[in-house]
Amino acid sequence: MGSDGKQISRRHLAELERIVGKKGVRADPTARSAYESDAFMLQRASAEVIVLPRTTAEAAAAIKVLREAGLVVVPRGAGTGLSGGARPVENGAIVGTARMRDVLEVNAEDRYARVQAGVVNVHLTAACADAGLFYGPDPSSQTACTIGGNVGNNSGGPHGFKYGSTNRHVLGLTMVDSRGEVIQLGGPGAAGDGDLDLLGPVVGSEGMLGLVTEVTVQLLPRPEKVETLLCLFESLDACCDAVSEMIARRLEPSAIEILDRLTIEAVEASVLRAGYPDNAEAVMLVEVEGGDEEVDATSADVIEVARAFGAFDTRRTTDPAERKRLWAGRKGAFGAMGRIAPDLYVADVVAPRTRLREIVSAATVACRERNLKLANVFHAGDGNLHPNISYDRRDADEVRRVLEAGRIIMEACVAAGGSLTGEHGIGLEKQDEMCLVFSDDDLEAMDQLRAAFDPDAFWNPGKMLPVRGCREIHTRPLPVQAPAAEDAS
Amino acid sequence: MTRESLVDHARALDCIHCGLCLTTCPTYQLTGSETSSPRGRIHLMRAVAEGRAEPDATFEDEMNFCLVCRHCESVCPAGVEFGAMMEFSRGALLERRPPGPLARLARWVGFRGILVRRAGLRLAAVGLRAVQLLRLDAITSPLLGLRGQIFRNLPRVPSARERRPLPPVTEAEGPARGTVLVLDGCVMPELFGRVNRAMADVLAATGREVRSVPKHVCCGALHAHNGELDQAEDLARLTIAQFNEVDDSAPVVIDSAGCGAHMKEYGRLLANDPEWRDRASAFAARVVDLTEELAAPEATARLQERLGDGHGIDGPVTWDDPCHLCHGQGVREQPRHLLDLVPGLERVEMPGADSCCGSAGIYTVLRPEDSLEVLDPKLESLESTGARTLVTANPGCHQQWQIGVGKTGKGVEVLHLAEVLERALKPR
Repeated sequence: MGSDGKQISRRHLAELERIVGKKGVRADPTARSAYESDAFMLQRASAEVIVLPRTTAEAAAAIKVLREAGLVVVPRGAGTGLSGGARPVENGAIVGTARMRDVLEVNAEDRYARVQAGVVNVHLTAACADAGLFYGPDPSSQTACTIGGNVGNNSGGPHGFKYGSTNRHVLGLTMVDSRGEVIQLGGPGAAGDGDLDLLGPVVGSEGMLGLVTEVTVQLLPRPEKVETLLCLFESLDACCDAVSEMIARRLEPSAIEILDRLTIEAVEASVLRAGYPDNAEAVMLVEVEGGDEEVDATSADVIEVARAFGAFDTRRTTDPAERKRLWAGRKGAFGAMGRIAPDLYVADVVAPRTRLREIVSAATVACRERNLKLANVFHAGDGNLHPNISYDRRDADEVRRVLEAGRIIMEACVAAGGSLTGEHGIGLEKQDEMCLVFSDDDLEAMDQLRAAFDPDAFWNPGKMLPVRGCREIHTRPLPVQAPAAEDAS
Repeated sequence: MTRESLVDHARALDCIHCGLCLTTCPTYQLTGSETSSPRGRIHLMRAVAEGRAEPDATFEDEMNFCLVCRHCESVCPAGVEFGAMMEFSRGALLERRPPGPLARLARWVGFRGILVRRAGLRLAAVGLRAVQLLRLDAITSPLLGLRGQIFRNLPRVPSARERRPLPPVTEAEGPARGTVLVLDGCVMPELFGRVNRAMADVLAATGREVRSVPKHVCCGALHAHNGELDQAEDLARLTIAQFNEVDDSAPVVIDSAGCGAHMKEYGRLLANDPEWRDRASAFAARVVDLTEELAAPEATARLQERLGDGHGIDGPVTWDDPCHLCHGQGVREQPRHLLDLVPGLERVEMPGADSCCGSAGIYTVLRPEDSLEVLDPKLESLESTGARTLVTANPGCHQQWQIGVGKTGKGVEVLHLAEVLERALKPR
């Protein structure tokens, strides 16, 4: 640890404390070290100072001071990101939104909410529950991750299959730009008012275009009926094929998730034990929403397909407590892997849903050859796979093998017509692999867009876009081997 | 697992930094600082254990800022035993960064002079009562500055009549269901003697013969939570021996969640003592919280016959989970179930009932300002329920709520679950 970077002066620190209060500034090395990584543990760095504003105005004032102090800024929500997007950078401050957690407005009639960026995902849904509404995207870390962080990574979650990722739900943003000025993009009623749509580029920009401080999102009416189905398979391959068939038949559940045996074991050993049976090689967790008849019909179809592909047992429940337990197990699956090894590499790739089985076996082979422990848990519905590789970061060779396997999995997905990230972002983890998908010209265009917002590389520099040119990385876009049978989005 | 290492390193390694614990943590809620979150603290423990950081003042402050409510354990998918890690960290800190002379004296008086001796506890109670009756606290508090807050936040000591310990035996009523041992406790008889008596009466009403252990004083929970591990081990051995002397197989029923959670972990505490390890595990397995004992079907059946609506409790009641009951022992449903058994009692759920009230053992004394800041959102939560009675099952929480309710002036009554049940018992 211990950075040799630029030290922030006492005067600037005092100024920051004046703006956000003493408790909002953490400057001593021990306190700062807790921010040395997000949930992507492979790369760590030290921030010069941690600043935690409470309002947009405080954030804007703090940004001006940091700018004057010659630091760059990494925006951070709860630090639950899995690709290093919120990791500190050299000569950088962290500006965190953890104290910006007020739900500013819930408008039940027009079905939108305006929140501060640090509001935790589940707290937003809780805040609009009385109005019979909910917020669509439900990342697995939703009990901790923030709406601002969701905007940065264009987060999805199991129900992304039906509701889409964050970009389909954001109506407006308030952000602080690199001059410390507050700008508004969109708003509750801004759809189609003739302006250039700048929300698009900002959602998913991983904190490189500014600091999002307030977010206006649309809310959805709670479905009349929700049923959760559990289908048990003797083989992971059969389970994957069943999903491909469901998609081909155009069944529309709201979520289709797959957990393999190692994942099931880890979850069942944890406080989140969901009652997944221990005799299954793979579990498919499906949720169906809608009116009574619609739910019954879809559930019956899902079960029929599962049975046809060898499911040896299926269960259905509409009981809220049981549904909650089943989902808690799924959503705690990453954390539960801590029981297997101290560190976890969570890959996040997207494959066409007709080729799930192929990618899963590519991942299995890559890990077996490198003597690595692989657990699979994924949003099968939208083709977003999360092969989880357990490792111990104190073992340098194991770390190397993990990264190698991760890259092979990414290559396989890209070659199959998929993409590098479903919802966790590029961050630091997949920067080099951007060259698998994009040419130098593509990346240059992205960099120009970034520079239009942030000419001086003040926001989260060195993330997402490859730092070195692709020629230097010796990678070219991979030819797509077979035409994608369908759009993976 | 060695006491010498700053943390139980292997356990720290279970944490994969996923961050799901953050929102449960009262100090993260208060500050928004990840350094003050369970994940942040584990990071610090690990950094110190691996020699990447020094156990400096910031480290010490973060360890002491933690309330050890163990809410994070209830949501940790990796099963990190955070409470145990914090006890080890605090223990090691005492060795690595000994407190100053005044603090050392205070700790000695508190942990060795008062808590473990009945005479010391009585003297402290009498002294405090005298101070309170003579209103000396009004004079000394301003002189002591922030520390003076301690006096204002100390509980009102009841009269000498109230402070009598449990009788050695309380006879079973009706058909006998065997014997249980109960813990009188250290501060319980001095401050909440009525709760202990209510516990004994209710247990007797379910057909239990109730035996106390007059020799026994302290289970050592407060010592362990504050890093005084050697003494905690001694007290655990003493407790086991004294209880077993009275009865070596009867269930041990506890009405103080903090003590119960700790006594259930005697096996872990004495794991490195080959002579005591097995005895400790066997003893720990006999420990049950009062609500677990009463929610057992045979006890519930007996209670149902005896509970009536003459309890005089008007208006809605709400249950506040003591952290060391719900997070420490996983007991959540039983107390609610028991309250629902009482005829004419309207129970409402309090949002965030399972988050910490800021009491946390002697935290109220060590960090009075933080303690009250943690309580503030709970008070708002209580008000939102409209409850007229708040029910809990731990002396620290009981006292903290009395302070909080007293501040708001809303006149909500704070009761131990045993008191509610006792009030509802119909005369035989």
